[in-house]
Amino acid sequence: MGTYIVKRFIQGVVVLLAASMICFGIFQYSGDPALNMVGQYATFQEINEVRESLGLDKPVYIQYGKWLVNALQGNFGVSYRSRVPALGLILERFPATFELVSIAVFMAFCIGVSLGVVVALKPNALVNRIIMAGSLGGISIPTFLIGTVLIMIFAAYLEVLPAFGRGDTIQIGFWRTGLLTVSGWKHLILPATTLVMYQLAVLLRLTRAGMREVLTEDYIKTAWSKGLAPKTVIFKHALRNVLIPVVTITGLQFGELIAFSLITETIFQWPGMGNLLLTSIYETDQSVIVTYIMIAAVIIISANIIVDILYAVINPKVRYE
Amino acid sequence: MKKNKCKFLWLLSFGLILSIFASAALAGDTIIVAQDTAPRMMNPHGDDSDSGLSYFANFFDGLLQRKGSGGELEPALATKWERPDELTWKFYLRKGVKFHNGNSFNALDVKFTFERLSDPKVSEFTNTGKSIASVTVIDDYTVEIKTKDPIPWFANNMHQVFIMDKESTEKREFSDVFEKPIGTGAYKLVEWVKGSYIKMEANADYWEGVPPIKNVEIRPIKESSTRFAALVSGQADLVTGIPVELFDKVKNNPKLEIIQKPARRSIFLGLENKIDSPTADIRVRKAIYMAINEDEIIAKIMRGHAFPAAQIPDPPTIGYSADIKRLPYDPAKAMELLKEAGYADGFDITLTGPNDRYVQDAKIAEAVARYLAKVGIRVKLDVKPKSIFFPELTKGILNFYLIGWFDGTFDMGRTYFKLVHSRDEAKGYGALNGSLYSDAGVDALLEATADIVNPEKRAKALMNLNKLAMDKVAYIPLHYQEDLYAIQKSKGFTFNPRPDRWIVYKEIMP
Repeated sequence: MGTYIVKRFIQGVVVLLAASMICFGIFQYSGDPALNMVGQYATFQEINEVRESLGLDKPVYIQYGKWLVNALQGNFGVSYRSRVPALGLILERFPATFELVSIAVFMAFCIGVSLGVVVALKPNALVNRIIMAGSLGGISIPTFLIGTVLIMIFAAYLEVLPAFGRGDTIQIGFWRTGLLTVSGWKHLILPATTLVMYQLAVLLRLTRAGMREVLTEDYIKTAWSKGLAPKTVIFKHALRNVLIPVVTITGLQFGELIAFSLITETIFQWPGMGNLLLTSIYETDQSVIVTYIMIAAVIIISANIIVDILYAVINPKVRYE
Repeated sequence: MKKNKCKFLWLLSFGLILSIFASAALAGDTIIVAQDTAPRMMNPHGDDSDSGLSYFANFFDGLLQRKGSGGELEPALATKWERPDELTWKFYLRKGVKFHNGNSFNALDVKFTFERLSDPKVSEFTNTGKSIASVTVIDDYTVEIKTKDPIPWFANNMHQVFIMDKESTEKREFSDVFEKPIGTGAYKLVEWVKGSYIKMEANADYWEGVPPIKNVEIRPIKESSTRFAALVSGQADLVTGIPVELFDKVKNNPKLEIIQKPARRSIFLGLENKIDSPTADIRVRKAIYMAINEDEIIAKIMRGHAFPAAQIPDPPTIGYSADIKRLPYDPAKAMELLKEAGYADGFDITLTGPNDRYVQDAKIAEAVARYLAKVGIRVKLDVKPKSIFFPELTKGILNFYLIGWFDGTFDMGRTYFKLVHSRDEAKGYGALNGSLYSDAGVDALLEATADIVNPEKRAKALMNLNKLAMDKVAYIPLHYQEDLYAIQKSKGFTFNPRPDRWIVYKEIMP
């Protein structure tokens, strides 16, 4: 297990290096941050001065080398757009994203797995067929459409749920939470539902497929013939085995959503990290973009490692040597 | 274990009840605004865009201000100002004004502010800052500013330069200055949660009297359909940037009132005139102008929310001339002109433009391409995000492009030096002249205006210049935009939009 984790760690570092290099490569073609920082009436000389002061006049490999040295010391530079440290700007928004995604993934997991089991037990029942057809919708309708439609129905016409934002929040230390107020929960419903749609559909289909396969296995037939209670057969014998891939996918989705739920966050003006990333891309705020990509990569890599470890815990057959 | 759980639940529900009471306390003289742009920072010199200045204008004051829907220059922190000679500006300061932290405002703060402008680390007003030769404190309430060259529009810009407190700005950490504004303005910042809201409260000691609206909560929402939902569901009292597609929906909603305001920004097309390029020929330039059906662009693409423009400056700008008329839409004449110029079979040209900057910008560019195709000019369309478009514009590598502009100083001189003057890197002219348009006659006339101080003479000279530039089709003007706002009728706010799109809350009446 130890060597395995060390190996994964080294792989992670390689991925981070590669991702940061790609970022700097793209920056060469994605606009000129100096131009965004000098004001509308700047002269060429003033633009050049700013470019020099940012070190943007140097060749890209020198820029990258400088960034890397600073990053290794924990200094990710200053946002070009708001001129405060980029890392702080992103971390300040982490709680909002984390709360939204945690609730969404939790809901998707609970509902997805239970529906998956129900559907697998009676695949031909009418209700279950409708559920399966609906799940296709969840997978194929794009997030921005779901979000906009939900806003139009529940916020604009029915006026029962708020259209945007996080509602009232409470600051506890560095963490600003929306989970301790009614308005916070109300504001969470629509964006979480938007995120849940796709995840739910994936988990439902995965659980159903796994259950249908496992239910035909010999050991399940044995369990039935032994006269065990249906509850025991379904949950203890069948579902436990099905859960292994489901947990894997849930973990990966969690990492990915934390890093890239930017569409949902933008539609609902959710003050999370994804929302910030999108603004930074529009404004060529390169230091924020590259820092964000690094954080995203760290989150996804860690989610992967945690999932691998969990895998071993759930399934004793797996051993990392 | 179970007991603990119970306790936690009790605490949780107690917290929930508390928060319900907390939200019920808000009422009355509070306005909630859904704005289309979020602030970048709270350092008033670090962002010279209209969206940034719109926020700063509530926390800070300039030496002068522009109030209300007309935009006339009025005293603010300076009670009067004069120009003893071409290079000198003298400001007499208001007495008894206090910053939000209690410090008194005096001439040292003004000196500090103007010297800070030239530091690119904290300022986007370096152009203004570096044009200043010296700032002299004559006494506590008199300041004399000398510029390096004569700048006729210097005072016109003084509503955009916000005065900061010398003592606290020097003392505070860099990041604190960038996030917590300390000004003399009508509102104090209560809380800024990035991405969520900006809350401000009326400044009880404001020199102009306490503003009528006591609490302001601004919620920036980028997505226009979400902004619309916030408006329709009553979550916002005032909403900016209503998209033209949703105009009818807002108009037909009995709870809402839509407010229309002709915007100062004009949209126009830049066109190269390098020797050997087809567009160097004035006949070709006119042909392109006449081939574009602007009325149809306004009706179909802008859905009526724009006004045809015959020139770049808008009517309140010095240099606007009512005598300039648009060339008529006449594709037959356009084809004739092309034939005369030797382009009977047309030619190829690339039209570049932003797709996230102006109202319907990409669609306007598409329409122009279609109109030109009808007279035989083959247009390759190249629309892209503004972050990529503007660097190309600054490089001066474009042949034909769409851009919009208005000048905060209400003086066309500064704008024309940027947009129309031949590029001169040393003098900083023509920085936004994206196709390196160059005309010696226009340049000479423009340079001659720089020394003209007398407002009447200046207006006349700039009008002449404007006429000449339009006769030569230096640019092809399209239209002025219209700003659209909506308010909840039931809240009874009186809101008269400003021409510069700033929202200054002391001007809104409950």
